[in-house]
Amino acid sequence: MSEPNTPMFNVQIDGVWHQFPKGTRVIEACEQAGSYVPRYCYHKKLSSPGNCRMCLIEMGFPRLGPDRKPELGAGGKPIINWIPRPQISCAQDVSEGMAVRTNSPLVKECQRGVMEFLLINHPLDCPICDQAGECRLQEFSVDFGNSKSRFLENKVKKPKNIVLGPRVTLDDERCILCSRCIRFCQEIAHDDVLGFVDRGSYTVLTAHPGKRLEDNYSLNTVDICPVGALTSTDFRFKMRVWFLKETKSICTSCATGCNTIIGTREDVIYRQTPRENDHVNSCWMCDYGRLNFKFLEAENRLLELQIRSNGKLVAADWPAAIAQAALQLKQVTANEIAIVASGRMTNEELWLTSQLAKSLGVQMIDIVPRREPGDDILLSEDRNPNTNGARLVLGSTSEPGAKLMAIAEAVKSGQIKALVMLKENTMHLGISVEQLAQLPVFIVMNILSNEATEKATVVLPACGFAEKHGSMINGKGRLQRLNRAVRPPGKARDDWEILRDLLQAVGGGDSLSSIDDVFRRISETIPHFAGLTLSKIGDLGVHILEMEELPPTHPSDEKAIEQAVAIQARRRAVGQQVHEARKALGVAID
Amino acid sequence: MDEAIARYPSDHRRSAAMPLLHLWQEHFGFISDEAVPWIAEKLGLQPINIFELVTFYPMFRQKPAGKTHIRVCRTLSCAMAGGFELMENLCASLKIQRPPDGDGMHNPITVSADGNYSVEFVECLASCGTAPVCMIGEQLHEQVNPSSIGDVLRNQTSNIKHQTAPHPLEHRLIYKSIGRTDWTTDIDCYLRDSGYEQLKQALTMSRSDIVNKVKNSGLRGRGGAGFSCGLKWSFIKPDEKRPVYLICNADESEPGTFKDRYIIHEDPHQLLEGILISCYALNARTAYIYIRGEFPEGAKVLERAIEEARQHNFLGKNILGSGFDVEVYVHRGAGAYICGEETGLIESLEGKRGYPRIKPPYFPAVLGLYMCPTIVNNVETLCAVKHIIAMGGAEYARLGRPNNTGTRILCVSGDVQRPGYFELEVGAATMGQLIYEMAGGLRPGRKLKAIIPGGSSAKVLRADERFKLKVKQPDGSVIEQEMSINDIPMDFDSLAAAGSMAGSGGVIVLDDSRDMVWVLNNINEFYAHESCGQCTPCREGSLWMQKITDRMLHGGGVVEDPHTLKTIGDNIAGRTICAFGEACAWPTQSFVEKFPEEFAARAQKPVPPPLPPEYTPEELIEEESIPTVPLAHDPGWEKAGAAGTV
Repeated sequence: MSEPNTPMFNVQIDGVWHQFPKGTRVIEACEQAGSYVPRYCYHKKLSSPGNCRMCLIEMGFPRLGPDRKPELGAGGKPIINWIPRPQISCAQDVSEGMAVRTNSPLVKECQRGVMEFLLINHPLDCPICDQAGECRLQEFSVDFGNSKSRFLENKVKKPKNIVLGPRVTLDDERCILCSRCIRFCQEIAHDDVLGFVDRGSYTVLTAHPGKRLEDNYSLNTVDICPVGALTSTDFRFKMRVWFLKETKSICTSCATGCNTIIGTREDVIYRQTPRENDHVNSCWMCDYGRLNFKFLEAENRLLELQIRSNGKLVAADWPAAIAQAALQLKQVTANEIAIVASGRMTNEELWLTSQLAKSLGVQMIDIVPRREPGDDILLSEDRNPNTNGARLVLGSTSEPGAKLMAIAEAVKSGQIKALVMLKENTMHLGISVEQLAQLPVFIVMNILSNEATEKATVVLPACGFAEKHGSMINGKGRLQRLNRAVRPPGKARDDWEILRDLLQAVGGGDSLSSIDDVFRRISETIPHFAGLTLSKIGDLGVHILEMEELPPTHPSDEKAIEQAVAIQARRRAVGQQVHEARKALGVAID
Repeated sequence: MDEAIARYPSDHRRSAAMPLLHLWQEHFGFISDEAVPWIAEKLGLQPINIFELVTFYPMFRQKPAGKTHIRVCRTLSCAMAGGFELMENLCASLKIQRPPDGDGMHNPITVSADGNYSVEFVECLASCGTAPVCMIGEQLHEQVNPSSIGDVLRNQTSNIKHQTAPHPLEHRLIYKSIGRTDWTTDIDCYLRDSGYEQLKQALTMSRSDIVNKVKNSGLRGRGGAGFSCGLKWSFIKPDEKRPVYLICNADESEPGTFKDRYIIHEDPHQLLEGILISCYALNARTAYIYIRGEFPEGAKVLERAIEEARQHNFLGKNILGSGFDVEVYVHRGAGAYICGEETGLIESLEGKRGYPRIKPPYFPAVLGLYMCPTIVNNVETLCAVKHIIAMGGAEYARLGRPNNTGTRILCVSGDVQRPGYFELEVGAATMGQLIYEMAGGLRPGRKLKAIIPGGSSAKVLRADERFKLKVKQPDGSVIEQEMSINDIPMDFDSLAAAGSMAGSGGVIVLDDSRDMVWVLNNINEFYAHESCGQCTPCREGSLWMQKITDRMLHGGGVVEDPHTLKTIGDNIAGRTICAFGEACAWPTQSFVEKFPEEFAARAQKPVPPPLPPEYTPEELIEEESIPTVPLAHDPGWEKAGAAGTV
């Protein structure tokens, strides 16, 4: 990111003069100018060791005259003195008058040479390698390498199929020793576990036997590995990457909302990988969020609609179930109804929920807060992805989660006769199965079944994050978009549709035929959303909510630390109360 | 251990990793599995940080050695003098079954069945003038007779061999006291010889005065690159706010070079005086002497010299009442040639693998040790500083030739009758004078075949080549003169003009009995073993070249091999992080280019088809052995390997 007043430098790239802001890496400048320079060890978010030598280019500087000013040649442009040796482009920033050649005969010869060296000891096992299809070695070999090998010797043997940690598997023979993973562990994950042992051509990437690669960010090393050395133990051998349909979405496992790409084929999710967004997650995401998609295929996934009839749950169709739910809700008075929504719901769903509550006159409405230890990297303490959405859209005046225990008490005391449970497990509120069984009306909309579902009067199967569209606001106030990567299984239906139908059945709501209609209604009523549409959010999201920013903490700045601690404490307090209450009840926490 | 840790800044405890590993190994004999996490915890590091070091530096062993551990030098000069024969005979008399040198990083350590002895091949021990050498325990044994192993093992005291009086062509400044019978390493001995006078003198001068003197002297670095010392020093800003470090590069390990060894072992105070003057000139309050691990005696000598100097207040607080504080510490390497490269050395001193840094941005004078300005100078260079103070810069510059000033120590080894060291004014002798007059000429009946003039990485010069050099006439005009190898003056510019380099001053002489493929293979083996493995061309290329020459030597050479070798060299040189790329590429490039007939003779098989049938190098070798026409005998590997001759 360049500041507005950054000076611009004139740089000649392959004979054409361009301007770049001060601080631009030469390799980035070349790419911006349309001359992509191949690279292995360079990663824009990590330090530059310059070890792969793939980005060698020719570099020159203006020839200075006796007056120390650049001599001008034809066309008034400086005459360039070229450095005779090739230079790496990944470790230097552009400077005034610099000139580079990225496609000269010398550069091409360097690239061919380095490609040959990288491949002589490489096993060339592409047919059984998971990286095939997204392998830099394959790609650059075609673009910059030789077509045949001159290597007649035995290849260096190295360890294969090494379990580096619970989620990462290593093949040392494929490793090109670019050290990206080592630098990631040191610089981003702050968990210095990887290193090189032995020397020269026998150098091997490994972890010390006493300390494995098991931090919550280990799978990022797989993403940045340019070859097939580091593979995801979960994903390897499951699917060829060129078969994967890629859907841009966001992670919903915490309030950070890391941008992701969901890789699917025929309605099955095979992997999630981070998608670059410098406002949110840079290029990374945590392993917890990345692998948190398996529940969509869980055994206890709700696939059928059910209605309680004569004390038993029986199958139903959507119109019947919605009608039944509406009927049940109309049999009780407004102050006998409580709605527990979820911070995992989208803005659209939460808004429809608020309309439902309004239409029924319900006051008892809240979401379940999720506070757990976070880290200083990406994982937020708030494990709800859309607490800020609930703040803005749900229409509750108090902090999300503040009313929750009151609702639970009211259910237990029998004051509440009808409980609407949206995407949350009642067991988390400390309400026993027996108490639930006493409820005359207990409407459940969820993804998975649990003990409480058994006691429901209406069960509505809903969608998971990868099965629907919608928007959420992350912990820093950024509005981001979820996209559908797979179709929901069984009779499960898009949550917003279920809520819209229910709203219409209880007598509220009008022509909301698409999710865009819902969003438009939000943008008309809530100022933060003014002027936006779902498509205007774009792939990288829009900042709409000023959060109380945690001031950047510096060890010497005690005041800033104090302030940060105070804000954090305030945010944490509500969640903590609920957490403590649940703990006192001995309730499981998910 | 805490004393070792205290030698480094408190926020850089990692630097103590190698000293602690040395201490551990001295105490327990090897680096056990427990050592790694223990040392890591002691220094607040992760186990992998220590594990990386143990496996990078071959002197750290992860398994116990025998009670007596013998390291045999396998590098060129020793190999030519019978290093392989020595190892063979050692194994036979100690009943050690040494496995063949197979695929693997380091040469294996093999222990005898009774556990009393173990043997290991090591790379150049920097005593090429007294080849073949081996180290028994910590003692160096020189001019070992491979056929009388018993004597070697019984006589476990080291004795540094010395040539007699200086040759008339020599001009001894730095080596003035080396080899004198009345000379000891005591400070008293040094003081009697008016030692530390120049330090006292320097402390009365201003810093810029000293730097200017060094600039005016024209002194060029004696480590190999020949960079102007004064210019290097002037990169340090006089008003520098960060601490400035001076590092003495005593990691002498370029094959063919053994000049620093004698300074360190026999005249440590001269070196120390040079370091202290330089520290004062650069305002460096801390100096480290990075000494190679294979000089355990040298490290002890230096430690003692430092203590003696401290007692005389030549170092420590407020030295000689000047108000200047300075500390000098010895830091031992552990068997990595790459740590002679200044940024590799700095990384190693920081307790990491000796991976050279990229320049830009990590020029030592700007971002050196602990990211502070750092000057790294060779042992000989720092000694020269003392003499520049004594003589004055201009006077020193009158020695030698313009742009090639002063004296320098040349080391002659290989096929000459009297190998050894000679301190000459730079360019005062020609190659012919050096070899025939000073080093005693070749053995009877032998003819000169080739000379490697500046350490094994310098390009080889062929004896029957004609060289065109520009020679400066007394009237100042320059004429191009054609000359034979014997007429080349031994100075920086002339050797560069002849297509090679003065390098570190290690002259290796090869006579007509040498098989150039064998010689190149020995050199390639050295560089493949010593490549740090950080950047691609050198890591992959050095081993590839070695595998090719090895296959050619076994009789498996194919017609493409010489061309392949040459182009591998081309693809390495100039494309790596550090100068090791050139160092490992130049021998191959020059040997193949200058001795095409010998390489062609060993490269006669057709190139096998690239795809099926699958083949291995062994299969190529197992086919009938090829005729090697220009050579008298078929060189079996064992024979050639043992003697280095055909």
